[in-house]
Amino acid sequence: MVEFRKVSKKYANGTLALNKIDLHINKGEFAFVVGPSGSGKSTLVKLVLKEENPTEGEVYVNGYDISSLKRREVPYLRRSIGIVFQDFRLLPNKTVYENVEFAMQITESLPKEIRRQVPMSLGLVGLSKKADAYPNQLSGGEQQRVALARALVNNPSLLIADEPTGNLDPETSWEIMKLMTEINYRGTTVIVATHEKSIVNSMKKRVIAIDKGQIIRDEEKGQYENEVKNSQIYS
Amino acid sequence: MKLRTAKYIVKEGFVNTYRNILMSFASIVVVGASLLVFGVFWAIMANINYNTRIFTEQPEMEVFCNPELDDAQITTIEWLIMSDDRISEYTIISKEEALERAKEMLGDDKSVLEGFEGEDILPVSFIIKLDNPGNSKDVVDKLSVFPGVDNVRYSQETIDLISKLVRWIRAGSGMLILMLLVISIVIIANTIKLTVFSRRKEINIMKFIGATDWFIRLPFIVEGVIIGLVGALISFGVINLIYTEVSGRIINSVYFLKVLEGKEIYSDLILSISLIGVLVGALGSTVSIRKHLRV
Repeated sequence: MVEFRKVSKKYANGTLALNKIDLHINKGEFAFVVGPSGSGKSTLVKLVLKEENPTEGEVYVNGYDISSLKRREVPYLRRSIGIVFQDFRLLPNKTVYENVEFAMQITESLPKEIRRQVPMSLGLVGLSKKADAYPNQLSGGEQQRVALARALVNNPSLLIADEPTGNLDPETSWEIMKLMTEINYRGTTVIVATHEKSIVNSMKKRVIAIDKGQIIRDEEKGQYENEVKNSQIYS
Repeated sequence: MKLRTAKYIVKEGFVNTYRNILMSFASIVVVGASLLVFGVFWAIMANINYNTRIFTEQPEMEVFCNPELDDAQITTIEWLIMSDDRISEYTIISKEEALERAKEMLGDDKSVLEGFEGEDILPVSFIIKLDNPGNSKDVVDKLSVFPGVDNVRYSQETIDLISKLVRWIRAGSGMLILMLLVISIVIIANTIKLTVFSRRKEINIMKFIGATDWFIRLPFIVEGVIIGLVGALISFGVINLIYTEVSGRIINSVYFLKVLEGKEIYSDLILSISLIGVLVGALGSTVSIRKHLRV
């Protein structure tokens, strides 16, 4: 589903954001990518979306070879991925319904499908009643749920969330995480980049910890920090 | 692209224009104002060209007979003019026609001539056009010494001066129109650039959801066309008002100037400003959006 082979990313200013990373995420997995700011986890997400190209190594996402993907093919890669951002990124001049509909318009879906899928997706995130509202009339949690509905409406096989709860209060954060778990149960691969310690610790999912551009830990049912290492750092 | 997608894109263009009403309105005002300046100047130039053309095509000389000549003597002069190969055409102006012409030239002041009908105050004259303006001096020499001819009004200097002036006016106005065109295009393109810039985040979001460049670009182009066209129509409306008002005043007060009727210039004018509006709107959107698409 997602595979990194000896991937390095060096930015033009000389920063080595990722250093020879190997990573494999299988279909149907739920994985957290954790690490402090500047650790390289955002770069990892950018490489999956081909917002950036790897300096070295190979990245495969949903069968697309990222490094050799042509510019005009990038939209098709992104359509196969549902994306959720920290700052929601909803279209401000479109209603909730239109925001979700937009994702289906770009794939030139049939009107019949749009009329079925959009309300279904909004129902899944519990926002059927807000379909005609504009994003600025919604709370942060509601906006993020719209973003989730939009990410899911085309039934992508992969969902990537970059700090999805970064702008939300703890309670709302939990709602979003619950939704993501549910989506994962339905068979979608979910990758969440976060530094929300409490959530990671209680979810007991796969944790990939990155620091200084390298994977320092990759555990099934992992914790945000390794207990032993934690005590070393703070003692 | 599927037909329903094309429909969606056009609808998007209209809806976005409406939902960004403040920005759209600002752009329409700028487009309208630039095209108004352009259009007003266009109308002025069309009239200047029209008037100078009348000037240069006016008879090259006019032969005035003595007012006392009888019809036989006038026929002799006419025969002389007719038989001269260098003269391509001539018109005889009778005493009555001369009076009418004088009245016309005086316009509102024509009442001073009332009561002079049927009297020999104005002479018979011949308006002459030559094949070759180079012969004018010889023809004048020949005709002016003929018995019964009072004088020949002829001014090579004036003709030369006017045609020189006309050339300068045409060249100057052509350059001014071109400059105004460039200025209008720059202003309109810049305004559209601002509109696009204020929505660069939107473009960015669309890219991340997986919209193709054309899917993002086309609604913006539709918007550009709407803004350009509405701006052009508004400016045309204002030009129409101004032109009707101003041309009416000129016709009534400046008798020696001829003013084109509105409908004689409107078809060209509306076509060119709409074309400028639409083209610059569409191109402006296309160019401005380009760098925001590289995500």
